[in-house]
Amino acid sequence: MATPILRANKLVKSVPTAEGLLTILDGVDVEINSGEAVAILGQSGSGKTTLLGLLAGLDLPTSGTVHLDGEEITAMSEEERAKARGRYVGFVFQTFQLIDSLTALENVMLPAELRRDPEPMQAASRYLERVGLAERTTHYPRQLSGGEQQRVAMARAFASRPRVLFADEPTGNLDLTTGARIADLLFELNREEHTTLVLVTHDESLASRCDRRMTLAEGRTVP
Amino acid sequence: MNVRLILRLVARDWRAGELRLLLAALLVAVGTVSAITLFVDRLQQALLAESTSFLAADRVLSGSQPIPDSFRAAAISQGLAISDTLSFPSMVYAETSAGRNQLVSVKAVSETYPLRGTLRISDQPFTTDRPTESVPERGEVWLDSRLFPSLGVVLGDFVQVGYEKLKISRVLTSEPDRGGSLFDLGPRVLMRLADVPATRVIQPGSRIGYRLLLAGDDRALNEYRERFRDQFMASGNYRWQSIRESSPSIGSALDRAESFLLLGGLLAVILAGIAVALSANRYAKRHYDHVSVLKTLGATPNEIQWGYFGVLTVLGVVGVVLGLLLGTGIHLGIVQLLATYLPTDLPLPSARPLWLGAATGFICLIAFALPPLLALKNISPMRAVRRELNVTTTSGLITYGLGTCGALILLVWYSNSLWLTFWALAGGCLVCLVFGVIATLLLRGGRLAGMQAGSLWRLALAGLQRRRRENVAQIMIFGLAIMLLLILVLIRTSLIDEWRQQIPENAPNHFVMNVTSNEVGAMQSLLEEHTDYDGKLFPMMRGRIEAVNGVPVRDYQRRSRSADRGSPRLSSERNLTWTSELPPNNKMIAGSWWPSDTQESLVSIEQGYAFGWGLGVGDQLTFDLGGLKVVAKVANVRTVEWDSLRPNFFIIFSEAALADVPATFMTSFYLSPDRKRFLNDILSKYPTITVIEVDELINQVKQIVSRVTQAVELILFLVLGAGALVLIASIQASRDQRMKEHALIRTLGGSRRLIAGSLASEFAILGLFAGVVAVVGAEITVYALESQVFEMSYQARPWFWLVGPLIGALIVVTVGYLGTRSLISTPPATILRDL
Repeated sequence: MATPILRANKLVKSVPTAEGLLTILDGVDVEINSGEAVAILGQSGSGKTTLLGLLAGLDLPTSGTVHLDGEEITAMSEEERAKARGRYVGFVFQTFQLIDSLTALENVMLPAELRRDPEPMQAASRYLERVGLAERTTHYPRQLSGGEQQRVAMARAFASRPRVLFADEPTGNLDLTTGARIADLLFELNREEHTTLVLVTHDESLASRCDRRMTLAEGRTVP
Repeated sequence: MNVRLILRLVARDWRAGELRLLLAALLVAVGTVSAITLFVDRLQQALLAESTSFLAADRVLSGSQPIPDSFRAAAISQGLAISDTLSFPSMVYAETSAGRNQLVSVKAVSETYPLRGTLRISDQPFTTDRPTESVPERGEVWLDSRLFPSLGVVLGDFVQVGYEKLKISRVLTSEPDRGGSLFDLGPRVLMRLADVPATRVIQPGSRIGYRLLLAGDDRALNEYRERFRDQFMASGNYRWQSIRESSPSIGSALDRAESFLLLGGLLAVILAGIAVALSANRYAKRHYDHVSVLKTLGATPNEIQWGYFGVLTVLGVVGVVLGLLLGTGIHLGIVQLLATYLPTDLPLPSARPLWLGAATGFICLIAFALPPLLALKNISPMRAVRRELNVTTTSGLITYGLGTCGALILLVWYSNSLWLTFWALAGGCLVCLVFGVIATLLLRGGRLAGMQAGSLWRLALAGLQRRRRENVAQIMIFGLAIMLLLILVLIRTSLIDEWRQQIPENAPNHFVMNVTSNEVGAMQSLLEEHTDYDGKLFPMMRGRIEAVNGVPVRDYQRRSRSADRGSPRLSSERNLTWTSELPPNNKMIAGSWWPSDTQESLVSIEQGYAFGWGLGVGDQLTFDLGGLKVVAKVANVRTVEWDSLRPNFFIIFSEAALADVPATFMTSFYLSPDRKRFLNDILSKYPTITVIEVDELINQVKQIVSRVTQAVELILFLVLGAGALVLIASIQASRDQRMKEHALIRTLGGSRRLIAGSLASEFAILGLFAGVVAVVGAEITVYALESQVFEMSYQARPWFWLVGPLIGALIVVTVGYLGTRSLISTPPATILRDL
């Protein structure tokens, strides 16, 4: 039986607003096995991104727990959670989130540099080559197209050898053709690296390529 | 994060231009402060050196008793240079057929005289002179120009001083410490100290002034003073003099110059601090996304904190080193620029300016740049997926607290004056409050007015309204910068005017003394005929206070608690006069002036003298005038303008009180340099009178004032540069937001002209409002500074209210245009993609 790498119990997230307390997630349970690809679907405002943030340890729930590879990240300090993210987690964002003052290669090197790996450049070059950008290593993000920026972002995410890759609408800012190519690349890399993939998307076709789908509506999972 | 990564981050941020503004602000802070302090330090040293030449030494120990050898030995052992002088009045006789004689003031000097300043001599009376390093040889004397006609002698003749015959070898035209005390000076005869015993003029009871001149570094001089303080005080025979005590007008010019230069420096520090804060804020804002991404990649809050602290440290070290180099360069440039006006050999600077520059850089960074960068560690990693998330910044208390602490440390350290710091801070707080309220009201009013305006102005006013909080802050900052510039211009103008007024054109530059009562009428006519003289001759006699309300003066003096407050001694012999009218430049502050025909024995006392010794209206003073007792009641207390260079007296009697006392008369008058020959005519006609030339002293004071003025103008220029940087930093702070908005407007069909016009209008309104705010602030601050720090009277300036806002609009539009030029010319697609 496969072991869950990611487990969330009764996750509740509420935020204070001018109109009172707004509950974004209301008792969500999640269990994702190692190597599995799970799509989280739902309409705008259903709580997808909030759930992704909690599962990845970017934020803390109002109540409930999250275990990542057996460690309860919800009980950790921000300092410990950051270290856990560095060890286990990779991200691909809708808006790419490359650091614009760094070249493509430097962006990809960043996770390894933060971990103080002795040879950050080697792995970074390899991953850039893998995403087809070997010739663009010295280019800055503003000199790259949207699709190219997302490929750099994927190289960066996989270069940190994550156990779990969180992808937030990875094709949301791209045209259909480019989006499809990026999606192909994402699933190829995921397979090659045996990564667990948690994918937040609106896109049904993208979701259908995952092993399992989970739909959210008004902060709850819909069966 | 490791050091290598930090260095790479700094290098990458530098490459991307992220750090340039912050580094520029830091360079300006360090550069301005070190340039100002280096220049001021050297100038002050030079000014002080120049001023000490008025004493002919750094300090002088003077007294009516011989200076003990132990004082001399101690000074030498302390490493001080010493020189002795001895002054006494004496009759000299010309060894010529005419055989004239004249009462002169002899000064006998040792070989090392003077320790500061130079003697000037010539080979003919009343002709061009030259400096000399020497003093008269043994057996020789140097005479004042005016003694040549009055004694009827030429170079090479002999004069008799006491029992000794001395050869006239030079014309003495100027000696550094001549201005010391005007009324002890007759025409000067300079001779060697070693020749004095042979003259046998020093007898018990002779009026002799002994002076030990001292020169050396301040610490040694202060130690020496401390060592002998008790002995000076106990004997009551010796007085310790520095330039500030011995020549009040130069002392106060120096004090004001220092205050002003410091104020200029303070403003530069504050402006630079604001520029650092603004650029650090912008830098931090531009790193919100970076930090959130770094955190998703595993960077911990601690690593973020130390990482950015490291960035600041690297920046600080680079900024301080480059800033000090820049400051040194600027200061050398200034020295070069003003080379013709500055002393040829400016003393080398002390280390203080460099320390101050370096500390300014780091304190600026810690106080102004650290808070926004520290806040970066609190950025939530969730921002990477939700960009709209608010950022928890450092609490206002910490941000403003640190800023205020930093400013305080810098201000106190820089000015060495809690009082000046207090006023700068109180002004700052008041200004922030007043500026905030006015700026808010102006923006609200502007929005209402904008509803009626065309699209260009409406767009501009809507822009201002939309960023109201930022704009109130910007109006405050622009306002503050403009206010500081206005203050500087105003204070500078007031100071210079005040200085000019202090020694007005055509102020009297010659004193005539020893005029007998039957010569008064003729002298008055002679002066009126040949000069613009419109004064009167005052009778003058010497006398001292013997008792106050029946209490012997020495007892009264001992009892008085104000004994060591620096007031002139009560028991000393003084010049006295009588008059029926209050002299010009004197103002009554207590009691009333006596009727011109009063038969009462009344006396009028100068304010400082009266208050220093607790004398008031109604007190009865007993005087001893050469053995004659005179009792008079204090009728009033008055102020005297000592700098007016007119005959001024501590004590003035009613005519009835001194009617029977024999007196000689004196007055002062102005004589232009080209009419100096007139002195010859007077002295030939009235050989017994004494003429004292003070034009040299006045020239020296004017020279100092003009140098100080140049320094002040220069500092205005540097502060202006710092102010401009604040404006640029402030515009940069809102640049990203503006770019985005304008790209959107252009995408929606707005022309480049509309954007440029609305931007110009926005900056013009911002500048105009800032100008209004600045004028209010400047008026308040200038009033406080003028009345509290510089001791000047307030002057209304209506033109100010027009010029302030116009300058504001002009500066902000110009700097704003330069700062946003690229914003207008960049295609909207590029901007939208970059954002």
